[in-house]
Amino acid sequence: MCASSAIAGTTLGGIRRIRNTSSAAIGLLARQRPTEPVAWTEAEAIRRAQAGDAAAFEHLFQLHSRRVYALCLRMVGNPADAEDLAQEAFLQLFRKIATFRGESAFSTWLHRMTVNVVLMRLRKKSLPTDSLEESLEPDSESTGPKRDVGAPDLRLSGAVDRVNLERSIEKLPPGYRTVFILHDVQGYEHNEIADIMGCSVGNSKSQLHKARTRLRELLQEEIREQARQERHAAKTQTGSLD
Amino acid sequence: MQCKDFEAVLEQEGLAPLPLAAKSHLAQCSACQNLFADLSVLVSAAQQLPAEMNPPQRLWVSLRAQMEREGLIKQPMAVAEEKAHWWQALTTLFKPRVLVTAGAALALAFAAFLTFHRSPMGVTNRSTPAPSVAQVPPPVQPNGVRPSSSGSPIPVPDPAPQAIASAKPRANPKPPAIQHFKPSPSDNVYASFPVALQDVEPNVNGPSLRGSVEADASLRENLRVINAVIAECRKHLKKYPNDTMAREYLASAYRQKAELVATILDSGRSEQ
Repeated sequence: MCASSAIAGTTLGGIRRIRNTSSAAIGLLARQRPTEPVAWTEAEAIRRAQAGDAAAFEHLFQLHSRRVYALCLRMVGNPADAEDLAQEAFLQLFRKIATFRGESAFSTWLHRMTVNVVLMRLRKKSLPTDSLEESLEPDSESTGPKRDVGAPDLRLSGAVDRVNLERSIEKLPPGYRTVFILHDVQGYEHNEIADIMGCSVGNSKSQLHKARTRLRELLQEEIREQARQERHAAKTQTGSLD
Repeated sequence: MQCKDFEAVLEQEGLAPLPLAAKSHLAQCSACQNLFADLSVLVSAAQQLPAEMNPPQRLWVSLRAQMEREGLIKQPMAVAEEKAHWWQALTTLFKPRVLVTAGAALALAFAAFLTFHRSPMGVTNRSTPAPSVAQVPPPVQPNGVRPSSSGSPIPVPDPAPQAIASAKPRANPKPPAIQHFKPSPSDNVYASFPVALQDVEPNVNGPSLRGSVEADASLRENLRVINAVIAECRKHLKKYPNDTMAREYLASAYRQKAELVATILDSGRSEQ
């Protein structure tokens, strides 16, 4: 377990890759509300929210909701559950906001709560995946790259599209999935992930590597399955022509 | 260096520039080359996924309601009201039906009074065609009357109903084509959606919308992204028509596109 003060005072936005927010089109079920821009800094909004100012709560929500909702949606793969989880995460945050002293970045704090809420839900649901504890434990028996002896050389280049990638991400065990989404999709650094997940930087790196290799296997399975379906379809077509 | 060591380097350093020893191993080992290439493809594809998504507006509404129930909000929320034009304020007077009826009756009575109270030439004037001035009415003055050619005011029809209608641009219903987009998962979404959307999409490419240039550009960019997603899903479905998840993605993308087009059309209308 690492201390939560590892990145005290840093702003995640400064470290994180800046992505094209136009991709937020996915999930654009809500209309953009023409609200008056509030010229508060995050610290000012936090101070006001600690005093119970509703506008400050909304300001903080608008600042972070897109990222929190995206994380929830990718973790559970269901918009209704994602809404529920995002609301729960923000509710927990606002309940405890009076105790926030700024030891860590606000968004790290929020993401830690979000991850906890999501993982708790997944535990309760007990999805048919590896247990979270297992997946969070570093695997000491790491061997060389996994090879399929006798199998065709399945290279992912050109075969990965958004659909099969998202489907494969959903099949990852929750622990792997969290680290992969936080690092490779949302652009967090390992020290931030360690802070969010409450683990060491080394563990975060290890989890990420395992998540990537597992994802590679899942994608290769997808490609094989698709090839099998194509062969089957071709065979059926030939049979019907005869 | 062995493959195991190479993978340990990948684990610790990621795909960042590799140390020399790892590079030399990579040059010789085809299995590690495959692994490295696959992971690079995978990470690059993951970075193309959206890191942020807009939650539904109801999320804040519901969250705020819960916070109010729990007493987390200590003061009433200051709702930022949009500045309304002065005539929009007037329309509130006409909202009750009684006032509208009374206003219309008064206007009719006043018009009748003016008609019969004019000069005796009024009878002959009635048989002659209307002057060209009457065909192109002069501009309405701020007090709601139109100056006649003789200088006396001529009342104009009560603008209240129109004003009320135009004072609610945000309440405009969506275009009929979009209102019907409530498909069940079993619907053939990629048969019905594109046709309906094609009807309204040309209107979207109009002039700049209401609001800032950034908002306009953002909406159009979002539309472009959704179109790209739709194209990708359709391409995938052509190859694998039985892929149910791809169908769901496509249905979702069409729904979002419908919402987006409705937003753009609403914005455009509210400027007119």
